[in-house]
Amino acid sequence: MNYLKKKFYEYYLKAEIEAPRRIERREFAFLFFNEDMMKRHISFKNKDWLLRYLKANVPAHVYYSSAYYGEPSANTMKEKKWMGADLIFDLDADHLPMAKKMTYEESLESVKEELKKLLSFLIDDFGFSEKDLSIYFSGGRGYHCHVHDRRVLDLGSQERREIVDYVTGRGIDYNHIVVERSIYGYGITKTIEISPSSPGWRGRIARAIISFLEEIKNMDREEAIKKLMSFEGIGKKVASDIYDGLDDNRMALIKEGKIDQMASIKRLLKPLMRELAVKLHSSTDEPVTADVKRLIRLPGSLHGKTGFRVSKVSIHALEDFNPLEDAIVFGDEMVSIKVTKPFKVKLKGEEFILKEGVTKVPEYLAVFAIARKFANIF
Amino acid sequence: MEFDLFKIARYPFVEEAKKWVKNEKIEIHEVLNDPVYERARMRAVERVKEAMKYGIIKDTPLLNEIDCMMEIFSYPLARLIVASVESEYLIRRYALAEAKKAYENLKKEDSSFIQKIAMEFGMEVKDGVIHFSDYLKYAPTWDMKWKLINRVMEKGYVKLSNEEIARLIQEAIRSKIQNELFYMFPPPEINKIFGELIANLKNKLIAKEIKRAEGISEKDYPPCIKNLILAVKSGMNVPHVGRFTLVTFLNAIGASTEDILKIFSNSPDFNEEKTRYQIEHITGRISGTVYAVPKCATIRTWGLCHPDELCKRVNHPLFYYRLRRRKNELSKEKVL
Repeated sequence: MNYLKKKFYEYYLKAEIEAPRRIERREFAFLFFNEDMMKRHISFKNKDWLLRYLKANVPAHVYYSSAYYGEPSANTMKEKKWMGADLIFDLDADHLPMAKKMTYEESLESVKEELKKLLSFLIDDFGFSEKDLSIYFSGGRGYHCHVHDRRVLDLGSQERREIVDYVTGRGIDYNHIVVERSIYGYGITKTIEISPSSPGWRGRIARAIISFLEEIKNMDREEAIKKLMSFEGIGKKVASDIYDGLDDNRMALIKEGKIDQMASIKRLLKPLMRELAVKLHSSTDEPVTADVKRLIRLPGSLHGKTGFRVSKVSIHALEDFNPLEDAIVFGDEMVSIKVTKPFKVKLKGEEFILKEGVTKVPEYLAVFAIARKFANIF
Repeated sequence: MEFDLFKIARYPFVEEAKKWVKNEKIEIHEVLNDPVYERARMRAVERVKEAMKYGIIKDTPLLNEIDCMMEIFSYPLARLIVASVESEYLIRRYALAEAKKAYENLKKEDSSFIQKIAMEFGMEVKDGVIHFSDYLKYAPTWDMKWKLINRVMEKGYVKLSNEEIARLIQEAIRSKIQNELFYMFPPPEINKIFGELIANLKNKLIAKEIKRAEGISEKDYPPCIKNLILAVKSGMNVPHVGRFTLVTFLNAIGASTEDILKIFSNSPDFNEEKTRYQIEHITGRISGTVYAVPKCATIRTWGLCHPDELCKRVNHPLFYYRLRRRKNELSKEKVL
């Protein structure tokens, strides 16, 4: 048995795994060490059978269906008889434009920021209660958020897509978000009215505009104008007008949501809104959340390419959760490995810099290095 | 629920209407044969004809209880006629026409009445808000202004005006009537009594079908469209923009909703009602807005473009199609 499989076996012998709800209605799928083909269409009567399977077969990756089926082990979708599905959000560092330049640790941190935005949408806008939301570190490069509110279970793909569009900001129409008002006096002054206390996107955008303009007001002139000019469509003239116009009176009105100079402010909307949206998928990716029959990693199982545990994170402890510590299940007994590809990683708060060659490292690092294919057991 | 007779006549699909008919203790064969009910039978014929012709059923004046009674009876009769024609197209068109009629009336009602009707369709409406899960089931979200993101939503509840709630109810009614008619087996007697109308409708529908089938030439589709069709047919999950491109294109070259539906029926998450609704929305059959076929540049940015030689000469998939068709037709003539 290879080292990784042996370690995984030891883990599954004692692992405490929380079975997914209605386990008997789910399809399971597995990838094994040194095998390319996924084994699918497996179902378990209960948690005991699942655990027995894990111990007997020691898979490298364990997945289950977000969907509930009449016949989860049937081979075709038609025979499976779809009954409903949890709503799953997959937040992955690969989807972030900046992630390529970041360290593993930094990229996980920035995914966490996306997750926080998502949670705010799900709780404040969609009204899901915290007990219907579960968050997991994926064991790889991101987080999964599962929604099991009964009212989403039977939503079809199109309806789910609408939810995805909502949190990612796709299809937003500013004319529906921002209410324009014409004030007739000497000529017509057009203002935007957008209250920071409004629910949903409207309030979010209002608050973003207000805090952005506050930030601008507190900058010195040159810096502020430079910042404003970084927005598309804002030139020097408009930028100076915006900055010079931000006296205390104007600021007080803005804080109530009465924003004039509509044309130039409107140019800020799009970029500010982009900041607020959850980066759920790259532009070319199919939004997997809308899929009503996808496979997701089983919480409590190990990720075969890192050796980390797919770990549950409580919403309240999210801030303190450190995946590169809390998802580590292996010990610190020293093991000899032969590094084939130099790498850097920070695990359990300790920075490791490994060069090619034989070295002794704690077991948890050995598992990570071998799973990442950076090293072999020596 | 306490609806008066006039309300039941305006909204004959409500449960209350069924109860009222039951209470009247009138047998179906009486309504079908007794000269007393001639007016109800005529109104039933009118309902079906108007649905077919205009896509909406006009209101009839209701001045007294007899008017109401005839109106109420005409509804189940019209349904029996529609089911007897055995045409999916007619069922859909009729269901939509009844739903639109209801919408036109409903949007003028007060909120407590609208709320009651919404409840009949399993939608919980209170104080002008509705849960987003109900909203998503019935809202025409293809339309920008109906997209959830462009709505005011707080703690799961979407704020809607009475008229907007009525619009969601329209969709709920349409889908309900349609589903009921698909599984209805009318007694053969209907064919005797309304034989002429039924035969007439059948002929019209067949003619429509033939007209449609002529003149579409699949082999002349541009590669992007061929690819999309292949992907959809093989059950791959095609992105939203891909589906949109496909529907607008097929519509532009004269394919019917049925033709387009057939292609989508292999999709893994195929939901006939939903897909049909979306198709009819994009093609302007229910929305009044016909969406344009995206041009090549747009299709390219969506990553759906797989150009061949001819593509170099065009900037729009429809030009490609016309060009290919003309070429092929010319060469056909030569062979002959």
